[in-house]
Amino acid sequence: MANHSQFGFQDASSPIMEELVEFHDHALMVALAICSLVLYLLALMLMEKLSSNTVDAQEIELIWTILPAIVLIMLALPSLQILYMMDEINEPDLTLKAIGHQWYWTYEYTDFKDLTFDSYMIPTMDLPTGHFRLLEVDHRVIVPMESPIRIIVTANDVLHAWAVPALGVKTDAIPGRLNQTPFITTRPGVFYGQCSEICGANHSYMPIVVESAPLTFFEHWSSLMSS
Amino acid sequence: MFTFAQIYNPSFKLLGFLDVKSVPCARESVLYGSLGSLVVGLGHFLATSRVRRSCDFAVGGFICTMLGYWFYCRYNLAQHRIRQRMLKEGMRNKILFEGSSLDPERKQTGNERSDS
Repeated sequence: MANHSQFGFQDASSPIMEELVEFHDHALMVALAICSLVLYLLALMLMEKLSSNTVDAQEIELIWTILPAIVLIMLALPSLQILYMMDEINEPDLTLKAIGHQWYWTYEYTDFKDLTFDSYMIPTMDLPTGHFRLLEVDHRVIVPMESPIRIIVTANDVLHAWAVPALGVKTDAIPGRLNQTPFITTRPGVFYGQCSEICGANHSYMPIVVESAPLTFFEHWSSLMSS
Repeated sequence: MFTFAQIYNPSFKLLGFLDVKSVPCARESVLYGSLGSLVVGLGHFLATSRVRRSCDFAVGGFICTMLGYWFYCRYNLAQHRIRQRMLKEGMRNKILFEGSSLDPERKQTGNERSDS
């Protein structure tokens, strides 16, 4: 989860999020180069005398056409690569459904056993000491680590969005539509997210908690939940 | 209120947004860019004695050197990460399958014996 006053990304816990963080660093470096140039030009303009002698400026016109094209290429190529990478679905080991309601999530594991449960936020007054306010839920989404997982997201009433920043996942939950997103957790842990589409009064109070655990723990948990 | 990391590992953000401490290759890119800017700018000035044009070259040198080293460093970093992943995968497979029928080293040894 994010610390208070955190500006940057959370630590990446999936390959897609790692790629996104690298692309973000690349984009910032390009932004630094552009800002340096703009600052220099601003300083030059402040020191330059105003004149209307220029009538033909072929060189500068060429420069300020080609340079932005190069910048766009530098940004667009990795961006498109990641965009298509995010949509790759490579034989997921598990398919999970997330259904948004006002104001909780329902999760369905229907691959092997008919396992369905609701996930409500734990109110602050019921929160044990040391747990995170407005982020903890009564039933977490347990997934096996290092396994490709497909999540199908939809909604029952209004628009919602299922988002977990540490995994680089954000998918709209639209009533009457199924949206699928693949993800892989690279390490065990607990990853927090919140509903990311305004959905009413308690939009801020329907968090998402994904717990990534080794396969044996996942199997044990699913058998306990099914019984 | 600050976190432990903010107190003992303060970030340094160039122009307020690029954290050169935590972003891999950023610090080296900016430093090499500064060096390149100095060399190109100073070299041009020594050759031509034109201050304004030398400043233009210095800024251009900074941008080109910084971005050039950035691409080179990030490419090497990506290759390093791929090798790291392959090594991790190989170590895990070795631990998992050593001594079993799926052990690739055992299969190779078996083939050599059958050939001799």
